[in-house]
Amino acid sequence: MAEAQFRVDYPNSKTRSSRIFALDKKAAQVLQQISEAPWNGAHFLTVLPAKDGKDATDAAYLRLSHPDGSPADVFEELRHADVVILISCDTRATGTAEAIAKVAFANKTMIAGLALAEGKSEGVTNEVVASLRPYASVLVVAQDNDFVPAMLTALRA
Amino acid sequence: MLRKEVNDLLTQTDPGTPMGDMFRQYWIPALLSSELPENDCDPVRVKLLGERLIAFRDTEGRLGLIDEFCAHRGVSLWFGRNEEGGLRCPYHGWKFDHTGQCIEVPSEAPESGFCEKIKLQGYPLVQIGDVLWTHMGEKDTRPELPEWEFSTVPAEQTFTSKRWQESNWLQAMEGGIDSSHVSFLHSGGLNSDPLFKGAKGNAYNLADKKPVFEVTESDGGLFIGARRNAEDGNFYWRITPWVMPSFSMVPPRGDHPVHGHFWIPIDDENCMAWSYDYHPTRALSTDERQAMMDGHGVHCEYVPGTFQPLQNKYNDYMMDRAAQRRGDTYSGVKGIAIQDGSLQESMGPIIDRTKENLVSTDNGIIMARHRLRKAVTALRDKGITPPGTIVSHQKVRSVAKVLGPDDAFAEACVDDLKVRPGQKQTSV
Repeated sequence: MAEAQFRVDYPNSKTRSSRIFALDKKAAQVLQQISEAPWNGAHFLTVLPAKDGKDATDAAYLRLSHPDGSPADVFEELRHADVVILISCDTRATGTAEAIAKVAFANKTMIAGLALAEGKSEGVTNEVVASLRPYASVLVVAQDNDFVPAMLTALRA
Repeated sequence: MLRKEVNDLLTQTDPGTPMGDMFRQYWIPALLSSELPENDCDPVRVKLLGERLIAFRDTEGRLGLIDEFCAHRGVSLWFGRNEEGGLRCPYHGWKFDHTGQCIEVPSEAPESGFCEKIKLQGYPLVQIGDVLWTHMGEKDTRPELPEWEFSTVPAEQTFTSKRWQESNWLQAMEGGIDSSHVSFLHSGGLNSDPLFKGAKGNAYNLADKKPVFEVTESDGGLFIGARRNAEDGNFYWRITPWVMPSFSMVPPRGDHPVHGHFWIPIDDENCMAWSYDYHPTRALSTDERQAMMDGHGVHCEYVPGTFQPLQNKYNDYMMDRAAQRRGDTYSGVKGIAIQDGSLQESMGPIIDRTKENLVSTDNGIIMARHRLRKAVTALRDKGITPPGTIVSHQKVRSVAKVLGPDDAFAEACVDDLKVRPGQKQTSV
């Protein structure tokens, strides 16, 4: 590729702050598998069930954990985030998507939604898509979980 | 960002490469039928997937696509004499039939059977619509003939062109599924190009430059939906089907003919951008066909006697800075096709994807690469036939439609996205 020899070779971007949220247990399992790979500073966060009686759509009550089980704070995580990705396999986490979205919108950070359809019926997947649609500026339905690391790599997460 | 090894995997299509093997699973467009207009017409040089070939129509109308070079001394058979049922090398008179079989070696006695031992590589060449299609893979994996709607409607309803693009096929194809560039690069043409203007959907395009995207997988590839604001809280959807490896269809505008593309590798640093326009239910008007021939819409003007665009990198695509400043064209380059081609060629012959910075709205491209990589490796490692080879995967349509705020396009447009013979495209 002789032409490429004349391109200036230098890094043209800084490290992004990517925050990847697993909204449910299945999604968390997928993220757990890939989180140990070398990433460019991406934070993998699992949404834990809201405490009884707490409004799941309120970010103040959102319970998050890092892959090692340590707690995380959504406001702190999203303060400097460039990329926010919500990953979901079922619809039980609709409220938490809204809670994260409110904080991201306040910070003017775009959200990508990823519905994992592997092993799911079309009906369930459609419900997942519908639950993410209000918050995502791009929404992807992936038939296989391998797409998650492919997408994160592409986005330099 | 794409790792170098994956970039190489997807962009290299010469014989023996994994992606080359994958392209060889499909029937691909090789020539316009008008390039071989009659029996014993002039042979035509064709380069496909890194192979230099010669196409000809013999005395009996049989179509041949064979190795360009004579098996004797390697002379190009483009100089050959197309006569009496075969193509004869002008150097020493060796003659080959439409399959590449040598049928005459003048220096040898016919009874010797020598010529039966000589055969050039040959591929089938079949006319469907106004395109000649070939399959460059093994005969035992040859799929059924393609049935893309644009090539199966009556001749008066369809028009196809092709142009040489000096870039790898993948960056050209990725442009075809990158819906977000339309509101910028092509904004100048939406209300002026005779093959686009007047559609109500154009106003939605121009008013909302931040579409929201949804990407879903189909049996043959992807559906990429771009959602823009419409009236009363509804959304204007433009849905682009992509079928592996390199077919796409642009969402329609009003009752204009529907158009789309194939991007077929010539070699790793060149591709042929095929552009079709058709209407599912009516003949193209005289004005429409003339506009296509004049290079409007997705078509282009040519350097006479070639498939090289008249606006090309050697004349800076006839860049018009004044038109760019006025906003007549967003990039200063005239015409949809060359607006795309100029920018894709400017990336270099094969873009170094390790340096790109994709964002979330590029997820259609990310998913297409992912599906291609999976298909290539499944074929290479397990012999699994890739998607897009079977006819049912080809029976897709693009869609432009206004949907309610809660409608999912994949559900709401399930019928619109299929070929429905005798029914118009779904368009706004």
